[in-house]
Amino acid sequence: MNAATDLVPRMQAYVASRLPEARELRLDNVQRIAVGWSHETWLFDAVWREAGEQHTRGMCLRRDPGNAMLRHVSSLEEQFRVLECLARTALPTPTPYWFESDPAILDAPFLVMEKVSGTCPNPWGRDGRAYYAAAAERGVLPASFTATLATLHTLDWRAAGFEFLGVPGAGTDFVRREIAKWKHLIDVSDNPPEPILTDLIGWLEANAPSTAHITLVHGAYRTGNMLIEDDRIAAVLDWELQVLGDPMYDVAYVLSDLNREGTALLSNLVDRDAFFRDYEAQTGFTIDEKVCRYYNALYAMRSVAFWMSASGLYADGRSNDIRLARTRWSVPVVLDRAARELGY
Amino acid sequence: MTNDELLLRLAQTLKKVIGPAVSAEYPKTQAFMAAVVLEKVGRELAAARSHAAANAAAVAALVAALGRDTGGVPLAVASAIAAVGAKGDDAALSQLVAAMYSARAELGADRFNAMLGRIRLTLRAGIDRRMEYAA
Repeated sequence: MNAATDLVPRMQAYVASRLPEARELRLDNVQRIAVGWSHETWLFDAVWREAGEQHTRGMCLRRDPGNAMLRHVSSLEEQFRVLECLARTALPTPTPYWFESDPAILDAPFLVMEKVSGTCPNPWGRDGRAYYAAAAERGVLPASFTATLATLHTLDWRAAGFEFLGVPGAGTDFVRREIAKWKHLIDVSDNPPEPILTDLIGWLEANAPSTAHITLVHGAYRTGNMLIEDDRIAAVLDWELQVLGDPMYDVAYVLSDLNREGTALLSNLVDRDAFFRDYEAQTGFTIDEKVCRYYNALYAMRSVAFWMSASGLYADGRSNDIRLARTRWSVPVVLDRAARELGY
Repeated sequence: MTNDELLLRLAQTLKKVIGPAVSAEYPKTQAFMAAVVLEKVGRELAAARSHAAANAAAVAALVAALGRDTGGVPLAVASAIAAVGAKGDDAALSQLVAAMYSARAELGADRFNAMLGRIRLTLRAGIDRRMEYAA
């Protein structure tokens, strides 16, 4: 029995311990989904008898073995708190069940949350692109994509309890916090100096925009990070990069060329004019394209930080996933893009 | 067969023989990804000598250009230019760029932009060379 399959009976014992009234509890349809380079993700259905009736509840378990790409900037404990806060809002997100920091249970911290019904087509693959192109024709999912972002940016983050994320001060504080965060990830990744990156950081620091509004920001709002059912967003996922800050940070990500391939549709899905019209109408914010261009440059810095962190995981032996080794050559690709963002 | 040719040959074997023979999804993906990595290492190795020579020439030209008019240049920037001339590596170039931004007010906008523009020509040429194997 390998380490992965050994976990399943321990996961079952844990779920049983959290449902003391449950009898004959078992886990069905257990699968470990191999997407992303973040925390391990397991899906299963907990099935049990209680008071003479059979119950089934779909669950998602995320475990942190300590070698995730964003381990220095994101923790499962914070993800769990974020999901708890989001459960008090209108935003569609998975219901959080339990978080455990004790490594004695499953060898690493983990959280358990609702397995939301829906699909998550990969926007980078041929099938995914065809899926989103067809959904764009129907028009319902693009509207839901924009409306869900508007819901995210207009929710009362203070009432929902998000202040623990850190409330940026007035002016350029939000941007400076983000630059500092990604600089830290770059520093701990221990890569050789990159003069274009130094130039990019210098430019970002010298041109930091002031933030007009503070909202909850997802940090990676795109198709592929949300579950879809009946042509609507059933759940926004991947709460690893969220921050309190400028909503234009998310808008810039939606507008970015990075999140669409061979199509003019934003995130492979949404017509640009419709996005501007609906987002502005639903939030009351005016999209500032100049600020969005600045955030695109900041995303280039963030991407460099991601790839330096990822390639470092393979280089120092903490992961054997060869996809991580490949990201060593993603660094110059992003630096090439960054130089173009800076005009050279 | 040179080392870079050997790596490219290994990549082909992984891609055309080993990868297709693996049925399980994860190791199959890993085999193909290993082929991609070997190809990139092979191309980088093949270009290493000519790129090193081009980088050295570009840095020498940069130092000569920046050295033509150092009057009034802040000491930290002048020292960083000298370090680029002595070492010629990315660490020294990074320190020069950082020194430029730190001395931005002292340099004034016109001079800052002119000097940084010249440095960026060198950086552009360098990243273009890296993109030959990275893209």
